[in-house]
Amino acid sequence: MSEFEALLRKFQKELNAGTVSLVLLAILDRSEEPLYGYQIAKRIEGGWQGEVTIKQGTLYPVLRTMEENGLLTSSVEPSVSGPPRKYYQITDQGRSVLGEWKTHWTRTRDFVDATLEGNVG
Amino acid sequence: MDRTVEGYLAELRKHLAGADPALVQDAIYDADEYLRSALNEAQGDPEAFDAALEAYGTPEEVAAAYRDAEHTVAKALRGPKPAIRPSDNPLARFFGVIADPQAWGALFYLLLALVTGVMYFTIVVTGVSLTLGTLVLIVGIPMALLTLAVVRAISLAEGRIVEGLLGVRMPRRPRTVEGAQGSIWERIKSWLTDARTWTTMLYMVLQLPLGITYFTIIVTSLAVSASVIALPFAQMLADGPLIRAGVYGYYVEAWAYPLLVAAGVIGFFITLWVAKGIGFLHGQYAKVMLVGRTGAEGVE
Repeated sequence: MSEFEALLRKFQKELNAGTVSLVLLAILDRSEEPLYGYQIAKRIEGGWQGEVTIKQGTLYPVLRTMEENGLLTSSVEPSVSGPPRKYYQITDQGRSVLGEWKTHWTRTRDFVDATLEGNVG
Repeated sequence: MDRTVEGYLAELRKHLAGADPALVQDAIYDADEYLRSALNEAQGDPEAFDAALEAYGTPEEVAAAYRDAEHTVAKALRGPKPAIRPSDNPLARFFGVIADPQAWGALFYLLLALVTGVMYFTIVVTGVSLTLGTLVLIVGIPMALLTLAVVRAISLAEGRIVEGLLGVRMPRRPRTVEGAQGSIWERIKSWLTDARTWTTMLYMVLQLPLGITYFTIIVTSLAVSASVIALPFAQMLADGPLIRAGVYGYYVEAWAYPLLVAAGVIGFFITLWVAKGIGFLHGQYAKVMLVGRTGAEGVE
């Protein structure tokens, strides 16, 4: 791996660390029914253009943390293909948190865009 | 790395070695769910499955993600550091237990253990005897399955109670047994050969005598403390002596009233300490029986 590539990887990883909870909340907010980990991972993969830079194995611990913080609830249901699946659903608290995060995200994005276009500084 | 679900899980276990067994169980469960769903979708196409493994992340990456999340969760669970550090003064520490959420949690758990103990005992004994009784008939098989499934569910539920009240980290996902895939027969076999199934059942049966003991200790200590505190007040209101032995009655001298109240209050604090101590021991015991001792557990 070249040095540029390593730096890019690191940058992507740090970006993802901040945005992945927002993305997960938004997906679960949009979804009509509860989703299990693999479905969520597939939706993220589907929404990405080009190479996916989020490792899907890292989504699960984030889901788990958000459940502990009361943003999501879950229920376990049996499946034919393997172990029982854990279905996640957004809570009311999760919805209001998502609302706040969205506003914050829009402001951050606009600021970064403005900087990149040379309108800041 | 062996490019199969089992190979991946084994590798992930290796990278999580030394981590909390409950965390390992959660991580393995998640990976198992994802990879099996992917395998199902790949329809036997090895390249599609390889791509799914690639997308899930290497065992190193995934293990690191779980460890990171656990750090944040542990911090959140512990809550903000109390403003007052535990005092060096032994007297202040002794009375400080009144503000210790762990002592109150343990006290509540020990009282609750009687109820859960009766439930667990009844369920296991009923399940096992019905299974053994009907094993010669075909009904024995679904009976055995039902019993095993209930034991697994209760193991998880008891873990949640223990984590909530005793503050010991327990799994948030059911246990994944290696080889617990394939036909229903293989699953039954793997459940039956999993030592954790049997220690869990033992735990559930022992919960009855333990629950009775805990309940008795706590209720007796609380009752004794409360009556010693109440005695002086009751004596002031009562006409005759309250302490009686046969035909003799004894009055407590007035100077001893404050001493009695003080003794009762100290008795109550001692009860809280005892509850905290028993709660700690029970938490460790529950972890050994329901989850296993070390991170290496489950690497057969």
